[in-house]
Amino acid sequence: MASMDTQETPAQLASAASSEVIIELDKVNKWYGDFHVLKDIDLVVHKGERIVVCGPSGSGKSTLIRCINHLEEHQAGSIVVDGITLDKNLKHIDHIRTEVGMVFQSFNLFPHLSILENLTLGPIWVRKMPKAEAQETAMKYLERVKIPEQADKYPGQLSGGQQQRVAIARSLCMNPKIMLFDEPTSALDPEMIKEVLDVMVELADTGMTMVVVTHEMGFAKIVADRVIFMDEGDIVEQNEPFEFFGNPQHERTKLFLSQIL
Amino acid sequence: MAIVKAEKTPARAAPISESSLIGWMRMHLFSSTFNSILTVISLYIIYITVFGVWKWGVTDAVWVAGNRRECFNISINGACWAGVITWLDNIFYGRYPREDLWRVNLGGLLLFIWMAPLWLPRVKAKVFIGLTTVFLYPFLAGYLFAGGEKGIFMQVMITAAIVCLLGNTTHSIIGLFTGRSLPEFLIRLLGKNAASEKSQRNILLGILVLSFAVVYIWQMGWSVEVVPWTKWGGLFLTLVISGVGIASALPGGIILALGRRSKLPVVRVLSTAFIELFRSVPLITVLFMATTMFPLFMPEGFVLNKLVQVIIAVCLFNACYMAETVRAGLQAIPKGQFEGAHTIGLGYVGTMSLVVMPQALKHMIPNIVGSFIGLLKDTTLVSIIGLFDILGMLRSISRDTPWLGLHKEPLIFGAALFFLICFGMSKYSRHLEVKLSTGNKH
Repeated sequence: MASMDTQETPAQLASAASSEVIIELDKVNKWYGDFHVLKDIDLVVHKGERIVVCGPSGSGKSTLIRCINHLEEHQAGSIVVDGITLDKNLKHIDHIRTEVGMVFQSFNLFPHLSILENLTLGPIWVRKMPKAEAQETAMKYLERVKIPEQADKYPGQLSGGQQQRVAIARSLCMNPKIMLFDEPTSALDPEMIKEVLDVMVELADTGMTMVVVTHEMGFAKIVADRVIFMDEGDIVEQNEPFEFFGNPQHERTKLFLSQIL
Repeated sequence: MAIVKAEKTPARAAPISESSLIGWMRMHLFSSTFNSILTVISLYIIYITVFGVWKWGVTDAVWVAGNRRECFNISINGACWAGVITWLDNIFYGRYPREDLWRVNLGGLLLFIWMAPLWLPRVKAKVFIGLTTVFLYPFLAGYLFAGGEKGIFMQVMITAAIVCLLGNTTHSIIGLFTGRSLPEFLIRLLGKNAASEKSQRNILLGILVLSFAVVYIWQMGWSVEVVPWTKWGGLFLTLVISGVGIASALPGGIILALGRRSKLPVVRVLSTAFIELFRSVPLITVLFMATTMFPLFMPEGFVLNKLVQVIIAVCLFNACYMAETVRAGLQAIPKGQFEGAHTIGLGYVGTMSLVVMPQALKHMIPNIVGSFIGLLKDTTLVSIIGLFDILGMLRSISRDTPWLGLHKEPLIFGAALFFLICFGMSKYSRHLEVKLSTGNKH
């Protein structure tokens, strides 16, 4: 379990959440072939809210957040992000993707571009920002994730933890309203997990809306406003972290927590 | 009980087999009696082969002679290079008028000047230079080679090419010395650095339009005589056909490969059918189709010259092969790269051109260059349908009265020439691979 530097309590962090709804899933269903991955998922995320999604592998948690920026297509139900409904309209999808940042388990940095170019690609080509300004922004975020000295290197020359921090900075350069994390620390060596989680905790402090799929329960306890437990395509239980970990209700939640804690 | 190593182990010198020549030889050539015998036998075989070739091709060879009979009189056992030397102009230029050879040479020189900046490290905007080589240079070179009257379209394209060449060259020279691009340099020179971006852009646009106008007026008073394509030949013709083939195969291949991977069924089926059709037919059949069958389907009076038909056939054929190469490269790109690009808001075009293609093409360099080498060698097939490319020229030496029956020497010379060009391409591709690798071995 990674220990956190921050001294803030969950209650203080929770105050960032407002009542404005930013993500709304209504009866979302998805199948891979015959396999029913997501079953009637209802979920409302408020602006500034930080949600941790956990559950056994194959429970649909990654698919759930990948549906939010349409990396996966849902077949039934509706998803509304920042007031825009995700449908077949490519403009809507493109717009939502510029508002939603995502960090992957496998980083997905562009290996043929330097770190700085990785960070400026989106702002320059999507946001049409002048190059100098984009580089300035990129350096600002690289400093925030504490690796400005790596700007001219290539992803292949960085450690896993550094790559993941670059990936976070790359998403932040697009100035997103929501950040999605898909098991950001699962591919990392143990000694690198903390440096990534620290960056994520700092990000949470800024009031960013975050949906995090992770098995780092220490992170969930400190940062989350709400923990969601998924199993076999259902949201089985959701609660604020203190209650969730201290007093789980559902049998499957209890079983899951007993296995990972 | 803990076991602790108190001191660091110092690094020692490597064993002699790793460092000295004698050590290496003992290790790799004479490690046992049997290996030593093999080594000696191999060295002997290499010696007699090399010595024999050297004797025939150099020491006993005839370099100056009037005809084949004279060659035999001077040395019966040596090569008769005199025939090849006499025919050298024909081998390189075919029957291109001798007084107009400068046009071919100038075309080659311009290509070199155009592409040279691609090798210079400090020059920016290499993509632009590369693209203009493919899309503008052919018009300029095509007119230089073919000559004749210029239509309005040709005039515009030639002007654009010349302006572009001038711009590229000054840009490269400035880049070499200052590391800046041409627009940056001009703005600085005019002292308008403080002006708004819009007025900066207007100034640059003004300079561009002005130079375009000047060149346009200049080129109106300039023309070269017609040289019909039937007089083109030799290495020149081979390079023209394969050059156009190479330049168009990659863009065509990329488009077809993307078409084959498209989500739209019509595009996908059409691309697949096109690729498979051309891939399952030998090139020589395609060439015959293009030159003999194609005109039958055209309306009466529609005359396309044979060279253009051949070039189109070569382009289509190679685009289909390239499409499969590119598709293989695209498949090697992990899904995460597409997703990474999507999540920063890039659409299909942006994802492909900025993220996926650069990586795929980098992986594909050996295969792409392999196709190019194949293309260059395959163009010799056009000699079968009656174009006098380099192979046609080499073969006709043996039918020339003074050199009747001289087969060996011209073909060996041709082989050496092809080896030089192809080996050069292959070496260069290896160099590119090393240069473009970014330390990520995945």
